[in-house]
Amino acid sequence: MALIQVRNLVKKFDGRDVLKGVSIDLYKGQAKVLMGTSGCGKSTLLRCLNLLVQPTSGQVIFKGEDITLPGVDVRKVRGEIGFVFQHFALYRHLTVEENVTLGLRKIKKIKSREASEKASYELNRVGMFEHRNKYPAQLSGGQKQRAAIVRALAMDPDVLFLDEPTSALDPQMSREVVTVINRLFLDNITMFCVTHDAFLAKYISDSIVFMDDGVIVAEDIAERLFYESADPRIKQFFMSVADHR
Amino acid sequence: MTFPDIMIILARGAGYTILVTIASVSAGLAAGLFLSVLGTLRWKAVSFFLGAYTYVFRSIPVLVLLFLVFFGLPGLGIRISPFVSIVLTLGLISGAYLAEIFRGAMAGVGQDEILAAEASGMNRMQVFLYIIFPQMFRMSIPGMINEFTTVLKYTPFAYTVGIPEIMKEAMSLAVMTLRGLEIYLALGIIYFIIYRLFVMLFMTLEKKYRIPGLAPE
Repeated sequence: MALIQVRNLVKKFDGRDVLKGVSIDLYKGQAKVLMGTSGCGKSTLLRCLNLLVQPTSGQVIFKGEDITLPGVDVRKVRGEIGFVFQHFALYRHLTVEENVTLGLRKIKKIKSREASEKASYELNRVGMFEHRNKYPAQLSGGQKQRAAIVRALAMDPDVLFLDEPTSALDPQMSREVVTVINRLFLDNITMFCVTHDAFLAKYISDSIVFMDDGVIVAEDIAERLFYESADPRIKQFFMSVADHR
Repeated sequence: MTFPDIMIILARGAGYTILVTIASVSAGLAAGLFLSVLGTLRWKAVSFFLGAYTYVFRSIPVLVLLFLVFFGLPGLGIRISPFVSIVLTLGLISGAYLAEIFRGAMAGVGQDEILAAEASGMNRMQVFLYIIFPQMFRMSIPGMINEFTTVLKYTPFAYTVGIPEIMKEAMSLAVMTLRGLEIYLALGIIYFIIYRLFVMLFMTLEKKYRIPGLAPE
């Protein structure tokens, strides 16, 4: 059974249909990338999956439970889903290490010392250990995003959501982050990533889902979708992404 | 009686001034914090109440409110001591100003940080305690220094309800010795020293809690 099953998900904002009946599955150990033009509903879909945005209708079945039903412990669900934001969203009054340990101590109720050891281990994995005592304002964009990824991963989530993780970065910093996410992909971390970055998509995905105007148009492996798709929307999108790069 | 003697006599009354200031600012901080947290609920009735509270307590003169509390409330059967009267009065007024300071600081906390905290599974109380409050507090320190200064300058009103603070001591001394110039000059110096000491304390706090890389070092 899929870790996440999305069935006929609809989201309306002010009467406008942003998601028009989306269905998708994500299996344990799978890495899926969601691509599409700006405003097609990608980020909304991602946020509906951990209920940061409440869907209008449809089902989101996470570990066998429909989390859109009333009475579901939303915070518990969110605690099992790591979320990485486009603009990092690090807590600016806390050091890198404190950013990582806060959730461990306050949500997972892990003792400070153990949390600190866990943070050190995870930060070391992404080359951020030496920056552990720095504050977010003292880091480069790439370092901030790596810290944000560690903060999410340290909670041992069942799945990691990444919302445009490289969009706010220059090409060099973007490469740093792609390298880290690629390592997670090779470690079989379950991931669902929204991006416009074709380079990132290619190196971190088992399959790519293409969305347009609130519906899923196609799902395939990167090479076939990039180079062989006959759908004019997909062709046009990847041409514009390639031009942009 | 020499000038230093006058300073020593007046300094004895400074204890009450400091006590009234600290107690009033503490009451104001509690009221301001409560009101600013209440404001986050975004309920219409609450917003109306907060607006009315701020408007009323910022527009009533301190002395009028103090007399209303000290001389007016006994008419309703509520008797409170002079100390509680001045602390309540100054606390209510500074609470109105501090609520605005806290509200502004709270608006400065990144929405993306709040969203990230919610996405990690924190409840609303945890988000407030660990993300909003620490940043709000830091950003409010300059405003708090201003408000503290204002409260300190209002404390001489305490003498009107019989608290033997520094102003009352100075007035008594001036009547007895007829050396108003020296006495009120000494009074001004003592107020300045108290002000400087507290500002230094707040500056130390601000420095201690400054976020590296974010504010000028």
